[in-house]
Parts: sequence; structure tokens; C-alpha cells
Amino acid sequence: MPEPVIAGATVVPGHDGEAQLVVRVRYENGALGSVTLDAACARKLLEDCAAESAADLCGQPWQRLLDVLP
Amino acid sequence: MLDLVIRGGRIVDGSGKPGFEGDLGIRDGRVQQAGGRLPESGAREIDARGRVVAPGFIDPHTHFDAQLLFDGQARPALEHGVTTVVHGNCSLSLAPLRAEHRAKLVRMFQQIEEMPNAAFEGAFEWTWQDFSEYVAALRGRLALNVAPLAGHSVIRLWVMGEDAQKRAATPDEIRAMQDLLRACLEAGAVGLSTSYVDVDENLFPVPSRFAHHEEIEALAAVLGEHGRMLQVVPEFYDTDITLARVDQLAELSLAHRIPTTFSPLFDSSAAPANVSRVLARVAEQAARGARVWPQVQTRPIDISFSLDQASLFFVTAPIWYLVMRLPHDEKLRALRDPGTRAALLKAAEPGGDTARFGRLRVRDSQDARLVGRSLAEVAAERGTTPAALMIDLSLAEDLGVHFLAANMGHEDPARIGPILANDLVHVGASDGGAHIQSFATYGDTGYLFSEFVRKGGHLSLERAVRKVTAETAQIWNLEGRGLLRQGQAADVVVFDAETIGRGEELPVRDMPGGGMRYTRSASGVEAVVVNGEVVYTSAGGYTEARPGVIATL
Repeated sequence: MPEPVIAGATVVPGHDGEAQLVVRVRYENGALGSVTLDAACARKLLEDCAAESAADLCGQPWQRLLDVLP
Repeated sequence: MLDLVIRGGRIVDGSGKPGFEGDLGIRDGRVQQAGGRLPESGAREIDARGRVVAPGFIDPHTHFDAQLLFDGQARPALEHGVTTVVHGNCSLSLAPLRAEHRAKLVRMFQQIEEMPNAAFEGAFEWTWQDFSEYVAALRGRLALNVAPLAGHSVIRLWVMGEDAQKRAATPDEIRAMQDLLRACLEAGAVGLSTSYVDVDENLFPVPSRFAHHEEIEALAAVLGEHGRMLQVVPEFYDTDITLARVDQLAELSLAHRIPTTFSPLFDSSAAPANVSRVLARVAEQAARGARVWPQVQTRPIDISFSLDQASLFFVTAPIWYLVMRLPHDEKLRALRDPGTRAALLKAAEPGGDTARFGRLRVRDSQDARLVGRSLAEVAAERGTTPAALMIDLSLAEDLGVHFLAANMGHEDPARIGPILANDLVHVGASDGGAHIQSFATYGDTGYLFSEFVRKGGHLSLERAVRKVTAETAQIWNLEGRGLLRQGQAADVVVFDAETIGRGEELPVRDMPGGGMRYTRSASGVEAVVVNGEVVYTSAGGYTEARPGVIATL
């Protein structure tokens, strides 16, 4: 059964000047959504996905994302 | 004789109506006459021909809490024309605060607002616990007016002690918080601030985040007794949750007849629909009569980092991020390794080097000569590349050098201008006095005029003045301020409409203990008057006058 996947990620500045990661999620019906992760959550996501860069997150199941959310 | 006459200026009175030529007469701290030609002379006169004479600007989102106790001028806010500040935002205020909770609060301020320890230790004497004692401590020190919020987190700490960060409150505790908030409001608090996102020094949620909604509802009921503000930091990183908070604030506003405001709301290329979706919901709620004011800042947002962290700044450059994730000593070895260094520099080329690294500025370094300078500039002097320079500077200081990538978000004037001009948007969220070692939180009003009035034309001069004066006073119920009309408080700024702006961001070491902060000087502001007294002129600098008051009393 298909599940939502990470479609991409972009670095953006947070309100406090720390870099954050906006992760785009593509749902089963093709719709796109986004979740903004603070630095700690983003680092954990990259680590959990064994990603060396934001590009490596593409195609990862969204469960990885759910796992790092507080 | 009048106390002060400002002659011949273009009076932009804060109402939004077209400006008009005339004199402004002031007596006993209040406007006596705005417009026409005054035959009476003043004990002091200011020649304002060719200049705009406007109400002093009001900054609704600052963290000058500590600074006001050792710098009653809140430098450099005053020289930018800001004559009233709201502090105590984001659930944190210096009162009410029991002596045993001071250390805890200082650590939270340091974590959330990046206030240095020296700003709290030895820079002032803690002479208060309750809100009225705090207000008394402020009196006589102030060159500008203040409207202090009472912080929800400290109210919880006062009532619940350590349990404030463990659980929901009992009905008795909620009643005690209501009584405490009521006392704060009677002592001059302009409202209550709360936060749904902030964490303490241990990355643990601040006390306000343990409140159940019935606690917020009960406190809002007390705000309703006084018609005072509820300020909220919502989950601004997620549009859908922010929309839910807008709805929640609207219900509180309608039920208790209170104004509410939330911040920050900012534009990002990564979430381009965020602002429009939130504003659409705010408009829906406004149509129901709810007062929910989103605060939007004027200035762009920066990213700051050092190579000591695995900053996400590098996450789009695989080898850089890989190296940054290494533990400290391994990272030092990798950066010194010729092979790794060559790979890093190769990854920074072509094109990416100057574009990505060259724009970076040195934010903090033991070598004060470097601070504030761009990597491109220094690299050119030294015959190297910005990326190589960043590595070398970092290695020289055990990775302690901090860098700044400016204008990384909320940076497109064509998108920001219309947002600021929106009738439902509250211009604010400056964070004045916070994040002082990361970036300058001053000059947002000057930037409003230079970028969005003069350059972009998104707002007329009169509309921009109204936004940061009468409209802000109305939103916050600051009676008698924000307009240049007879009987109003004589808070005035005289500026050159052609040159008002913000200066370059510069590091200075003027904090207690010689601490560093980033600051900006003003341009185009020629005189600032608070309650009828001149507190700053571009020609003479700051004066010794301390006419500031608690704006709610």
C-alpha cells in the first residue's frame, strides 16, 4: 500500500537566526504538504535516514519524519 | 510660553490623514496645538522645516526587560524614534518573580532570547518580587515609555514552583494565577504573554506550555476585566497549527472582549502560502468581530552558525555537512587534512563559493578587526577564497568563530510590502533587545520607511506612520498616545522622509562587562521627544532627560 514520502527539503532561517529545514511531503493522492523542523529534529531525521545531504531525504517514507517530531 | 515648539514641519499626526504644514506646541508633556502658526515662543524650539513631525513610534514586541534596568534609554531604540516599547513578551517577564526563581528565569532568558549573563548579574540590583515593586524599580530610570507584559511562565512559577514545568494547574492554582495576574494589571501590566513553543536551557518546555486551555481561558477572563492584551507565540513553524491558534485566539477575544496578538508571522520561499493562509483566517475571524493581530516584522531574517555545530546551513552540500557532523576533535583533524580540505573547497566551486560563502560575514571572532566583515572582502585582501578563509579562521579559534548569512528569509520586498500594508497586519515582532549577539534587532521602523515607503511605495508615508503609532496604540489600548492632537502625550519624532532608514549592522562592546552585541544606528531621525522632553537629537546625541513613564498608568 503506498504511503506518503518525502519529496524534498529546503534550508530556511528560523525566527531566532538558526537554520531550519522545511521538508516537503507528497501524499498518496499527489498532494504536497510541508513540515518545518528545527535544527535538532532535522539532524535526527538526516541521521535516521543515513542522509549525507538534504537531497538524500527524497523518497524516504514519511514515517521517518513522524519519528523525529516532538 | 510653551515648553517646546517644533516649528514649520510637515505634521503627519498618526491618523493616516494627509500631512500638513504647521507648528507643534507642547506644554506640561502634552500637545497644546498641532498645526497653524504659533505666535507663542517656546523655552526650547526645534526648526523642523523640510522635515516630518510625527508621533513617536511604538514597538510592540521587545525584550528590553533587563536592559531597561541598566540603560533606561534602551539604546539604540530611542534614536530610531521609538518612544514606547512593550516588553515581557513570549511568556517571560522579570515580574512577578520570587527571589528563588531568579536564576531559573535568567537561564530561560539566555536560552530563548540569547541574553548574556552579564546583562543580569551585577548590571542592576534585584529589588522587587511582585509587579508593583518592579514598576517602582523602573520609575525614574526611563527615557522612553514602557508597557510591560506579565509573563505566563513566571506567573506559573510564582504559584506552582517547580511543578510549573511538570503538570497542569489545579483549580485552586488557576484561581491564584488569576489573582496574581489581576494584581499585575492593576500595577500597570499591559497584558499577559504566553508561549506554545519555547524551551528552557535544558530544551524542556517553558512553564506556560504545561497550561491546559481552561487555564488560558481563566487568565483571559481576567484580561477581559481590564480590556488588556493576550500576546502569544504560536507554533509558527506549522501553518495548520497556527491557523488553529488563530481560531482559538478569536474565541478568547470574542468571549472576553480582549485584543490578542501573535508573533512571529514571516514569509519564506519554502512555505510561500503560509502568510496568505494565516491572513485569510485572520480576516475570517476579524469579520466575526474578533481581535487577532498577527505581528509581522519589516526586516529580513538571517542565519548564523559556527563550524563547531552541524548547522543545517551546510545540508545542501553533502561533504560539508558530513564533516560538520563529526565530533569536535575529529572535525579539527578533517579540516586540517589536505585531502578533505581540497574536497571541501572543490565542493564550494564553481560559482557556489562566492555566492554561498562570500556573502557570509564574520559575526563573532577573537579578532575584533574581522567582526562584521564579509568573507569575500577579507578573502580578496588575503588572496584566498571565502570557503578557505572560513576554514582557516575557524581553525585558528578552535571552531569558535561565528558566521552570518544575511537576508535568508522574509527578504523579498515585493512580497513583504503588501503584507505590511494589509489592514489586518500589526507591524512588530522586532524582538528589540534580544538575540543581541546574533543580529541587530533595531531600526525596523527606519527600514519600514526606507524600503516600503520610499523605495517600494507599498505604503504612503501617512499610512506607515499610522501603522507604528496610532494603530499600535489602539491595538494595545495605550490611551493618549500615538496621535499628535491636543491633549495627547507629546511623544514626537522629527525625521527626514528622504533619508530615514537604518544604518549598517555593527558589533559593539557596550553591554555590561564589555559584552558584545550587534546594533544599528539610525539615519534621518533628527529629534526625539518623550512626554515633552527632548531625549535625543542627531546633532547632540542622547540627553540626560528621563521623562519615560509606564504607558498604562
